[in-house]
Amino acid sequence: MNAAAAPDRDASALKGALEALETVVLGKPRQVRLCLACLLARGHLLIEDVPGVGKTTLAHALAQVLGLAWQRVQFTSDLLPADILGVSVFDRASQQFNFRQGPVFTQLLLADEVNRASPRTQSALLEAMEERQVSVDGTSHRLPEPFFVVATQNPHEQLGTFPLPESQLDRFLMRVTLGYPDAVHERELLRNGDRRDLIARISPVLDTAAVIRAQHMVRATHVAEPLLDYAQTLVARTRDRADLRLGLSPRAGQGLIRGAQAWARLAGRSKVLPEDVQAVLPAVIAHRLERREGIEGASRDSSGAAAGLDVAQELIRTVPVPV
Amino acid sequence: MTEVRTAAATPRSPMLWVCGTGAAATVLHVAEVPPWVTIAALALIAWRLAAVFGAVRLPGGVVRVALGLALVAAVFAQFRALDGLLPGTAMLMLMAAIKVLETRTRRDQYVVIGGALFLLLAACLYGQGLAWVPLYGADALLCCSALAIVAYTPGADDGAFAAPLGLRTHEVIALAGRTLLYAVPLAILLFLFFPRLPGHLWGLTGGDDAVTGLSDTMTPGSITRLSASYDIAFRVRFDGRAPPPEKRYWRAIVMNDFDGATWTAGRPAPGRTQRLECLSRPYRYRISLQPTFTHWWLALDTVMGSPSPDVRYTGDYQLIAAHRLTHSLSYSAVSCTRVRSLAPLFSAARLEETRLPPGRNPQAAALALRLRRRAGSDVAFVQAVLAFLRTGGFSYSLTPPPLGLRNPVDDFLFHTRTGFCGHYASAFVDMMRAGGVPARVVTGYLGGRWNPYDGTFIVRQSDAHAWAEVWLHGRGWTRVDPTAVVEPQRLYRGILDLLPNAVSAPERLVHAWPWLGAALERWEALNGWWNQRVVGFNSRAQLGLLGDLGLHSPELRDAAWAFGATLLAWLAWISWQIGREIGAPPLDRLARAYLRLCRKLARTGLPRAPHQGPLAYAQAISRLRPDLASRVQPLLENYAQLRFGSPSPAHPHNLRLFERAVARLSLPSPTQARRRRRSRPR
Repeated sequence: MNAAAAPDRDASALKGALEALETVVLGKPRQVRLCLACLLARGHLLIEDVPGVGKTTLAHALAQVLGLAWQRVQFTSDLLPADILGVSVFDRASQQFNFRQGPVFTQLLLADEVNRASPRTQSALLEAMEERQVSVDGTSHRLPEPFFVVATQNPHEQLGTFPLPESQLDRFLMRVTLGYPDAVHERELLRNGDRRDLIARISPVLDTAAVIRAQHMVRATHVAEPLLDYAQTLVARTRDRADLRLGLSPRAGQGLIRGAQAWARLAGRSKVLPEDVQAVLPAVIAHRLERREGIEGASRDSSGAAAGLDVAQELIRTVPVPV
Repeated sequence: MTEVRTAAATPRSPMLWVCGTGAAATVLHVAEVPPWVTIAALALIAWRLAAVFGAVRLPGGVVRVALGLALVAAVFAQFRALDGLLPGTAMLMLMAAIKVLETRTRRDQYVVIGGALFLLLAACLYGQGLAWVPLYGADALLCCSALAIVAYTPGADDGAFAAPLGLRTHEVIALAGRTLLYAVPLAILLFLFFPRLPGHLWGLTGGDDAVTGLSDTMTPGSITRLSASYDIAFRVRFDGRAPPPEKRYWRAIVMNDFDGATWTAGRPAPGRTQRLECLSRPYRYRISLQPTFTHWWLALDTVMGSPSPDVRYTGDYQLIAAHRLTHSLSYSAVSCTRVRSLAPLFSAARLEETRLPPGRNPQAAALALRLRRRAGSDVAFVQAVLAFLRTGGFSYSLTPPPLGLRNPVDDFLFHTRTGFCGHYASAFVDMMRAGGVPARVVTGYLGGRWNPYDGTFIVRQSDAHAWAEVWLHGRGWTRVDPTAVVEPQRLYRGILDLLPNAVSAPERLVHAWPWLGAALERWEALNGWWNQRVVGFNSRAQLGLLGDLGLHSPELRDAAWAFGATLLAWLAWISWQIGREIGAPPLDRLARAYLRLCRKLARTGLPRAPHQGPLAYAQAISRLRPDLASRVQPLLENYAQLRFGSPSPAHPHNLRLFERAVARLSLPSPTQARRRRRSRPR
């Protein structure tokens, strides 16, 4: 491989991936870009919205375009950890336990309606997400590289759900909401029928190696000191606010920088600007913030999500960018 | 997508706050202006409030102008003037309310809050008591909170350039409170050292309708009304020992003109004061006198000289000021409770002090002549009349039956035999004069209650008293209190103790519950301090303060210097505080050059919002002014590379290039740009 030409080729491949995704998910270029940025920043993605706006389609399309192996698990309340991680089965022939891998052993795990599973199952997923390995019966099994969890949940459904605990929410780099399509794109959806046929037809733009290369490229995106100041100020501002239950964690700050790096790279830049931080800030921090109980009576449900977005917008508008 | 949420077009909360400040400022004046002014102002504000909630529409310009003219006419019809304190206040209230009605933009809101603050200042002209302080403070806090809300709520008129504070109501109030606290040192500074001119700026207030404890006429019966007042007349602090209660006669007005029913303060005896010989120890004291709305000042009987150059010390020992007393003041005086004057009474004065209207009160005159003939001397005659009062079946009451107009003294002495100090003093002096002894009525106050919390005596309007003075050979004018003969307890106890049912309900409450009385005493002690030290801090007190600070013979100019110096100190302190809070790091060369570029762009009408990064700024510019994009965009991209790209810090050579490019950039001024756009062919 020609080493000098590789970065250029990868940059155009990223552009191609974006274009391919936009043909599947119509009228949501910003969300599509956020999702891709999230994966390039080696982060897990939470897609939150009402049913039928294309959450699963987006996740499928991501897997397909990136050329990754993927598995889908529909989360239900009776789903057990072993259903995700896998089980040790006694093999009569060899007289020993053999580990049979669960669906988590893939490159992109689509966890549909993740908030329907019991906390026990959710926390099993947690270890996998953070450690990128699975421990069963005292043995650790490494997960493939790259490894992403794309989870979806419906925030408005309350009955029989287990809201994700803060620790788990913090492990998702970004939360993206899709929202209803606008009139033009909705008309197109109505005319052209199911998008899933389309997914099957699009060819992978990247492959495993290219994704890993892109991830390395993202990590190498230059972050100047003034920009770190800016990110630090943004994070610090959430910590001295009386109306928030908790400020942002250092992990959130790291995520902010990584997300901004990926965003800059997707824009074809090799340096991070304050604008990149502002672009990813709502998606990175909104789901990690929770209004203090009793201040406006809201917990972290749909209105809580809006509250987090409000805080993010307000931070963007009140914290001056470094000059 | 829900991530970018725009603020509602016209936010409601600033308008509610603005209406609140208007209404509060209006309510502050409810006691002074006629009721219709308050009602009209509140109605206009309510109209604006209803419009906020979409209940009604705002009036058009014609309606507003008509309303304004009508209200000006109404104020003129009420006061026959538009200037002066009261008409001015009414005008300000009404015009501020109309301003509320037409308020749409943020600028209008600032104007309304400014008007509300001005009304607060006007309120300080009316009420300066300590009780007002919390109310004024609350209103100032309300106005400052409203300012913060208005300043930091993004409005429809300023698009992306406002920075919402994101504060809750209580946080806004806390912010306003903190700001006011920062201002407190400045306020104290202005109060202490801002040069004060002699005279009372606040002396604007006043009027004849004020309730007063003293009157220059006395028709027995008129003092009943006065006794019902629990208001403080004055406070006294003695240097050293205080005189015993039976000696605490506070002398004010001498009345020597009698028409048979009413005593009037005649022409005061001319200024050649008869020399007094002090027979008791001299008492030194300081009086804080509440406004009396008369010319008389109070002093312990008998005062030995004038306490102030503005006050005349008359031949009959009155203190008469050139101007009516419309504000509280304090002064020091020296008095002796027992005096003797050996100077003779001139015949003209004797004639004056024994004159009675012919044909009035004949029975009293006849009795007096009979008693005088039986008595061997004037002193014996006085004793005989007092004995008559003591033994004649007289009683003390604050609610005596009415007396006839023609011969009230006869009525009192021979029919009703019930009355209070005024009745007894009047009847006694009438009989003295009928018997040929020079006599006159003196009014003032008797007694005073010790306030343990500030060591003063408080004398109330209910302590008002009237007594008599007779001229005795070898002693001069001598005080005789006929009321004390009838009701000896009056000397030692106030009217409240004596006749608890004679006064109004709240006073009875204070009387019935000692703790309430104690609380009242504390409050009055505090209030006394406030009136004397804060409200009464005049130019003389200011110069005194400067003298205490070590200045010899201080003048106004010294006050100005002291003010300037401390103002500088305060400004330095506050700047240091603010500087510490902002803690801005010093700017490097790149930042200076970039800010210079931003200033150039701002001058041509394209300011950068503080939260705009360089590329977002470039995009905004190319959207608003495509003609400039080609020149500005490379510069901004260059900056982005120098600031955020690698290597960091940027190479000095590239930095210099950027600086030079910024310096070379010349942009059209907004007017030029507009002209060019207009001349462009369509």
